[in-house]
Amino acid sequence: MNILIAVVVFLIIASMVQLVRVGELISQIKNQDTNKVTEKDNKTQSLLFFIIGGVIYLALVLWQFKYWGIHILPPASSVHGEVIDGLMNFTLGLIILVFFITQPLLVWFVFKYRKAEGNETAFYYPHNNKLELIWTVVPTIVLTAVILYGLNVWNQITGPPDEEATIIEVYSKQFSWTARYAGKDNQLGDADFRLVAGDNELGVISNTTKEYLISEYLPTKISELEKKINNSSKFSEKKKITEKLKKAKKQKERIINYLSDNPRSSEKLLSAEDDIVTNTVHLVVDKPVLLKFRSQDVIHSAYLPHFRVQMNCVPGMVTQFAFTPTQTTKEMKEQEGEDFEFILLCNKICGIAHYNMQMKFIVETQAEYDKWMKEQETLSQKLLTQN
Amino acid sequence: MMDSTLKNKTSKQLLWVGMAGITMLFAGLTSAYIVRKAEGNWLQFEMPNWFWFSTVSIVICSALLHISKIVVKNGKSPVVFLIGALFLGLFFSFSQIMGWQKLVSDGVYFTGKGSNPAGSFLYVITLVHLLHLIGGLVSLTITSIKATRGKYTSEDYLGIELNTIYWHFLDLLWLYLFFFMMYI
Amino acid sequence: MSDHHKETFISKYVFCLDHKMIAKQFLITGMLMGVIGMFMSILFRLQLSNPGESFAVLEWFLGDKWAPGGILDPNMYLALVTMHGTILVFWVLTAGLTGTFANFLIPLQIGARDMASGFINMLSYWFFFGATIVMLISLFVESGPASAGWTVYPPLSAVKEAIPGSGLGQDLWLVGMALFIVSSLLGGLNYIVTVLNLRTKGMKMSRLPLTVWALFITAIIGVLTFPVLLACALLLIFDRSFGTSFYLSDIILGGEALHNTGGSPILFEHLFWFLGHPEVYIILLPALGLVSEVMSVNTRKPIFGYKAMVGALIAIAFLSCIVWGHHMFVTGMDPFLGSVFTFTTLLIAIPSAVKVFNYLTTLWRGSIRFTPAMLFAIAFVSTFITGGLTGLILGNSALDINVHDTYFVVGHFHIVMGVSAIYGMFAGVYHWFPKMYGRMMNKKLGYIHFWLTFISAYGVFFPMHFLGLAGLPRRYYTNSSFPMFDGLTDINEVITFFSIIGGLVQLLFIFNFFYSIFKGTKSTQNPWESNTLEWTAPIERIHGNWPGEIPEVKRWPYDYSKPGMDKDFVMQDVPLKPGETEH
Repeated sequence: MNILIAVVVFLIIASMVQLVRVGELISQIKNQDTNKVTEKDNKTQSLLFFIIGGVIYLALVLWQFKYWGIHILPPASSVHGEVIDGLMNFTLGLIILVFFITQPLLVWFVFKYRKAEGNETAFYYPHNNKLELIWTVVPTIVLTAVILYGLNVWNQITGPPDEEATIIEVYSKQFSWTARYAGKDNQLGDADFRLVAGDNELGVISNTTKEYLISEYLPTKISELEKKINNSSKFSEKKKITEKLKKAKKQKERIINYLSDNPRSSEKLLSAEDDIVTNTVHLVVDKPVLLKFRSQDVIHSAYLPHFRVQMNCVPGMVTQFAFTPTQTTKEMKEQEGEDFEFILLCNKICGIAHYNMQMKFIVETQAEYDKWMKEQETLSQKLLTQN
Repeated sequence: MMDSTLKNKTSKQLLWVGMAGITMLFAGLTSAYIVRKAEGNWLQFEMPNWFWFSTVSIVICSALLHISKIVVKNGKSPVVFLIGALFLGLFFSFSQIMGWQKLVSDGVYFTGKGSNPAGSFLYVITLVHLLHLIGGLVSLTITSIKATRGKYTSEDYLGIELNTIYWHFLDLLWLYLFFFMMYI
Repeated sequence: MSDHHKETFISKYVFCLDHKMIAKQFLITGMLMGVIGMFMSILFRLQLSNPGESFAVLEWFLGDKWAPGGILDPNMYLALVTMHGTILVFWVLTAGLTGTFANFLIPLQIGARDMASGFINMLSYWFFFGATIVMLISLFVESGPASAGWTVYPPLSAVKEAIPGSGLGQDLWLVGMALFIVSSLLGGLNYIVTVLNLRTKGMKMSRLPLTVWALFITAIIGVLTFPVLLACALLLIFDRSFGTSFYLSDIILGGEALHNTGGSPILFEHLFWFLGHPEVYIILLPALGLVSEVMSVNTRKPIFGYKAMVGALIAIAFLSCIVWGHHMFVTGMDPFLGSVFTFTTLLIAIPSAVKVFNYLTTLWRGSIRFTPAMLFAIAFVSTFITGGLTGLILGNSALDINVHDTYFVVGHFHIVMGVSAIYGMFAGVYHWFPKMYGRMMNKKLGYIHFWLTFISAYGVFFPMHFLGLAGLPRRYYTNSSFPMFDGLTDINEVITFFSIIGGLVQLLFIFNFFYSIFKGTKSTQNPWESNTLEWTAPIERIHGNWPGEIPEVKRWPYDYSKPGMDKDFVMQDVPLKPGETEH
């Protein structure tokens, strides 16, 4: 099979060689230089450029705007998003204008000034400082406007968040998202990656989690592993489990050392007790929210396209983005179709399943939100009921 | 192909541009140092005395090379100064390694348990400087050998000039890096 | 005066010191790597437009491990995307473009026998060759080639448990890149020193062809920014293999909490993009230089606004070094920095606009001859306008929030680099082929190559803007995980269709190139009737370039259709006529 393909490829190349040789021989017979650009070439190529590079290209651009432009995201569903959309429309309008002036000029000049009878000699025009000044100053003015407008929008977006904003942590890892609400006190408890174990998936630091990890989860794990070692007969298996046992013990020690070296105030510990961990995020329409982002492993990026929100989740840092949703999921379903959902995607290459890290965001009325919130149990409750 | 004055000029310029590039390498490393330090958790420690010996030796090495250039221009043999510089260069390398050993015994590690970025950066920066210095040692060795064979005259001593320029660079670079890490 | 040493195969082709041969070594290595990189994109495009479908060609080339049942493995998808980017950005558009044309044209156009140091020049190629071998080996290691994107952000690139390609594949990638950086630096040394010192009598800086200006300025930014990438890579190597914490902190991978604390991945991004952004101008500026030359010769007019063009090159080069943060708008860095980088980034539009208007004015009232090279030069202007304009959106931090890392970015950078800059390279190859090999490339094949490439390139990359505005992220193995992207399948299919045509037609170019080396019609001394000095050197090519004295320069290179002259071109070594004033 491989030999057959190699032979076919070889034959294709050989026949191309012959075709080109034939072309050259024919030119020789006709006493023409096969590679000299003729007047006919100039006419054909310039016309082709005008038609393909001009008419067809621009027509297809317009076609794409009409038929593929429908796929563009719907207008923003957040306060700052609407401001961004305004800036985007302005900028798109500007660049489309410039595009539809410069491209036609280009292809018109290319066609009109082809070398042909009547245009054998070019016009020796080396410079014109006045023109240079004009097309330096005009872009400068236009760009100054774009910059000022842009920075104005940027300052609005990145200004200090509303003091009343609901704080929600969005925690990313390969390959899922988890959310943590700050609870009634709207204070997020501290967290650290060393305390990620068992059901304390986000490494929250509270008396409950400390108790859970040190007195319950890890000791249970350790004794189970010890039991397995005793029951096991195979050497390789024993070795593997011994490794696991060592790691579990080290982890326990590391947590204890970390907590004693980095004590938290009692207020801080308490603020973590009412934190709620969920797999979906519910937001109240028209109420400001402050998302805080963490990552467990590599850089992820929290991308909420409908809200015009994007922020990298960087291990070792906490990043944040504040916004206010302006449309409920229900409203959007009426507008965009029943299948619509506000969605969080990962937008920074993070590994094998980067293409499928998603979490649903639901925007609803205060009443609906309160009802949902009542049904959630806090992390502490969850860990305590493990007993 | 090229007359010797032109060759002199281009060789020196090639070296200068190369040194500009090397400077940017250290600019990158020292910028990273500054950014990292600003984030805290930065171990303070004392520079080992060995690095002071490094400093003195490289300054004298530079001076000797400068003298060797003057000497050859006056038609005398530069060999003893070149060899002297070579030995000081070797001593510099030795003092760097001794300095690292002292740091380790003081508990300042490059990596692993108990290490801190302040230490890591110090090792990386001094290591990269030392690697470039070893390049200089190779070049100085070749030049010294050529000098013992009488290849340099008062008209043509390009090799000595180039070494001098490069070693002055290594010297100034070391001074910058050393004082940077001590005071910044 | 030529070298009178006996030439063996080794000394003529392998360890050659002659700048013309070294240029060709760069060109051919770059072209062959380009075929590989381009082919990778066809493989992953098949997956993107037809997710989950089996393709025999995938299994054929990638084997059962990486394309079981003809379906691309997701890790290999990311590996292909990574290596495609690495190969095309560095091997083709940097080494293939600068390495070829700086080496070939600088001595010939300034009137020098060779580069300042043929030895350093030769070393620059052999480091490049070594880098190539290492990168190619990395494609075949068991855990797969580097897969964290060509931007290799840690921790993904630092810990092998994060993705298989971050094992040996990433180690080899880093070694290959280190060798590549050394190669670039060695080349840059020569380009700068040669232009400054070896210009022939009368070749003032103000009489340099724009090509040389562009290559000279490119070399300067290269020497100043590539070393920072080396520093960046060095620290990554230490984090990966020696357990340091420059970039790593608070990480759980492979089921356990790593020991690293205190490092910052954002530090990596700053160091990386400090080179990364100038890098794309290192790619673009030589293309601008080549296009300026090709356009002037084929419009039979001076390039309009020589001084402004030089000024714009310098402005672009300078600004390119202070905009790197626009790649990091959504990293959570201080918003004030975001403002600063928006400001500097949007400023670059000004000199870029000046250049475009100057090109348009060069075409105006010209007498245009449509060689394949000229077609590519004109198409360069078309795509530079298109790609440059979308930069106005990406450079604005507030707008970048919703398009960062989507197909909008992919469309933008491909149109300016993967299309514009490549067009500059094609224009250069077609135009200077006679000088390189003493023969002409086949014109008809050139036209076919141009038109199919031009149509395919727009067909592949323009639609991507719509994918981006629809919110589709880049580096996604498949778009079928989110219902919101279901409507985009048609667009993806169109893109893949054109990518296959565009990819295959490059083979026509490769065929034309190699056929013409051996069987192309022999070229005359100055086939394009160009003014620049390289066309005064014998078409047969000799060491030392000119058999006798090097010509002296009497005028600037753009006296095309100058009133009062006998011909519509006046070569640079032709003395001024009595009464003639120099431009």
